Amino acid sequence: MRQWFVWMLVGALLMPAAVARAQVPSLTIYSSVDEENARKILGAFSRATGIETRITFLSTGPALARMEAERANPQADVWFGAPSENHVDAKIRGLTQPYKSPNAAPLDARFRDPEGYWTSFYMNPLGAGLNTKVLESRGIKRPVSWQDLLNPLLRGLIQMPSPQTSGTAYNMVVTLVQIMGEDKAFAYMKQLHPNVQTYTTSGTAPSRAVAFGEVAIGIQFTPALYQLYFRGYPLLTIFPKEGVGFEAPAISIIKGTRREAEARRLVDWMILPEGQDTLAAQETFFFPVTRQAKRQVGLPALQLVPLINYDVDFAGKNRQRLVTRWVNEILGGR
Amino acid sequence: MAGTDALITPHVRKGSEMRRLLADPLVLAVAIVIQVLLLVFIVWPLIRVVVVSATRDGLFSLDAYAEQLRSWYVQRAVWNSLLVGVCTAAASVGLGFAYAYTLVRTAVPLKRVLHVLAILPIVSPPFVSSIAIILLFGRGGIITSGLLGLRDFNIYGFKGLLLAQVMTFAPVAYLVLRGVLEGIDPTLEDAALNLGAARSTVFRRVTLPLAVPGVTSAFLVVFIESLADFGNPLLLAGSAFPVLSVQAYLQITGMFNLRAGAALSVLLLIPSVAAFLIYRAIIGRRRYVTVTGKPGRSSLKATSPGAKWLLFGVTLAVAALVVMFYAVIVVGALARTWGVDNRPSLDALRYVLSVGMDTIKDTLAIAVVSTPVSGLLGMIIAFLVVRKRFPGRGALELTSLLNFALPGTVVGIGYILAFNQRPLLLTGTMVILMACFVFRYVPVGIQSGIAVLRQIDPAIEEAAQNLGASSALTFRRVTLPLIRPAFFSALVFAFVRAMTAISAAVFLVSANWNLMTVQILSEVGSGRYNAAAAYSIVLLGIVISAIGIIGLLLRRGYSPVQGRFL
Repeated sequence: MRQWFVWMLVGALLMPAAVARAQVPSLTIYSSVDEENARKILGAFSRATGIETRITFLSTGPALARMEAERANPQADVWFGAPSENHVDAKIRGLTQPYKSPNAAPLDARFRDPEGYWTSFYMNPLGAGLNTKVLESRGIKRPVSWQDLLNPLLRGLIQMPSPQTSGTAYNMVVTLVQIMGEDKAFAYMKQLHPNVQTYTTSGTAPSRAVAFGEVAIGIQFTPALYQLYFRGYPLLTIFPKEGVGFEAPAISIIKGTRREAEARRLVDWMILPEGQDTLAAQETFFFPVTRQAKRQVGLPALQLVPLINYDVDFAGKNRQRLVTRWVNEILGGR
Repeated sequence: MAGTDALITPHVRKGSEMRRLLADPLVLAVAIVIQVLLLVFIVWPLIRVVVVSATRDGLFSLDAYAEQLRSWYVQRAVWNSLLVGVCTAAASVGLGFAYAYTLVRTAVPLKRVLHVLAILPIVSPPFVSSIAIILLFGRGGIITSGLLGLRDFNIYGFKGLLLAQVMTFAPVAYLVLRGVLEGIDPTLEDAALNLGAARSTVFRRVTLPLAVPGVTSAFLVVFIESLADFGNPLLLAGSAFPVLSVQAYLQITGMFNLRAGAALSVLLLIPSVAAFLIYRAIIGRRRYVTVTGKPGRSSLKATSPGAKWLLFGVTLAVAALVVMFYAVIVVGALARTWGVDNRPSLDALRYVLSVGMDTIKDTLAIAVVSTPVSGLLGMIIAFLVVRKRFPGRGALELTSLLNFALPGTVVGIGYILAFNQRPLLLTGTMVILMACFVFRYVPVGIQSGIAVLRQIDPAIEEAAQNLGASSALTFRRVTLPLIRPAFFSALVFAFVRAMTAISAAVFLVSANWNLMTVQILSEVGSGRYNAAAAYSIVLLGIVISAIGIIGLLLRRGYSPVQGRFL
């Protein structure tokens, strides 16, 4: 009986090892692009090049945290997606290695690292998603500018992410600072505060609340807004006319990769017309970074989006300070 | 500590303990194996986290702590966390007790259905449950606006968080308390009634005092889990109501500051450990033995009809809330566009069953393998802590709680730091996911087991041993059947958490293993809310079946004819 019991215990503890799966060699990718879009884009890549991909989905923060924790023994080859400023972070921390793709030369300077550590392959502007039903039922005029969002009728009817947690919201803070100047921008956000029902943790949470009519307006990057409209929600996307910032998600090769050649092929392919056209063909609602690329039906022409000259450098250097100021002045009312 | 045991096992002299242990090498071996496992899978990753929090550029430094504690925002988060923790624990234990008492101690209809409904909210699928809460309690919510007529009710902040946490954690309290209430011999209540005590007196002087181990264990478990929880606050607290666990998460994933996040998490351990010490002080020096081996048959007379129907009313109200919660999700899964176009459609379910089959299988595999390990481990640790004496025993219970008390993000990071290098290279395997689930969620089983074991007279087990049974045989044939309710709680909880845990898992999943909750997250990200709801329904179906199967296995295992388990 004793042996039986020991056997059971040992068996129970060793079982997992026996079930562990054999690993298939291929390009391992940490994707901060959402699963559906990443599978579409990388599926097209695999079909075009014959390189298999194994994808693990991690949003920006967890991806960086994980690469940092795995530094001694990297588990992935490529970091795919997440805004370029986070790739700047990765570069500074020495988590990535440079590669200047020959195809990247025609890219706008803001879409690539001068030393080749990262390369942007799509972009999303900041926008406001309006639930037209809620606005109509409350008789509120559709806003067209940042100023319009201060309308007292909108009290508690706006959601935006918190800059503490979300690159999206931080992007908005920087946008406002660039448009208005820092002090005026903070005065504006103070005025906006009563209209904000909650500052969400996730950058895409506002679109959910807008879709279900919990609030009338959500501020965030546009893909989820367009996507929800496409799925049947009464959601209209506008760009405040004073100007909006944007994110330019990038790709980096992780330092210590054992599959450098394949990783480079992915970088090359993403900015070829072939890769760029995938964005539209696969209905990602992402804006391409090259001028020649096809535009997806339902997306406005890029010239119609009042993009500002978003200063990634300024954003990176002032992050801690601006976020702390935001916490103290907007949340704390100090 | 020694005093506790002298009381629980009064007829064993201290001096003979070590000799006894040496005479029973199996117990010693099991105790050593378990301690080693806890050291490897709980203490070692925690040490890695503490080291990160207390070094700057390789040198010892407490800067991160000082910096965090100076901020008014973090101070408010500390206060908020404690407030929510205490309120959630009190409300959950109150509700769980009322519910368990009604089902165990009164003759009311629908017991089986009500039992399952009480457990279901543990499932609480991430993100989807927050949508359900918005639809029920939001601005235009079915309950807030429809039933109560509140206009522009704001669910975000303290109220919403408390509601969501009580909803998620009250079932845990229920599971622990149910086991304890089942263990209280009803003939004691009958005896008090026969001696002329009023029913309220019986409840106050007999039932409640005997339930103390359960109440304190449940309070401890819920308090700790509330502090460590960040799924609910992440979605419902918002920036204006900071809590510590979310701040730790934000430092790591929002500000990319691993040190600060680690420091905040270590701070989070202080109230949890304090709660544990208070709990041990309350529980330590008393005896709660009521199961002495004589069969007790309940006449369930201890509650007056008025009180009984009042309790039943409360129970039904809670159950109705649970039903509404899942009904909203079912509607979502079967709607064309959840919340906008509710005409029925099977597309989402079909999509999930075709695209998501691999994910469902993976999740199920991990849960099925880790559940028995976790359940059995919980029972063995509870048994060792209450019944046996060996070096390091005092620390065992506390150690087992540590991963439970840390926010999942930190556990995940700790696991990567600890298990990404030889000789303990486990990243990317199923082992690391399983170890994470097993060692993180085992405390609920341990606490249930301890609470129930304290009610059981060790003389029963000693009788078996005096008749020549080994420790293992005694554990298997006597102890385990006696603590069956706790074993049930442990298995159910382990299974559900293995199916639904997300925070730590996010750091440990690899392309090889995909989890359903991660998939739900991704569907929500793609705006496919009805697919996310459909996944949640599948998850729910699996959990309901599992509860049924676990209950059935345990009943089979303890068939009175064979009187054995496994």
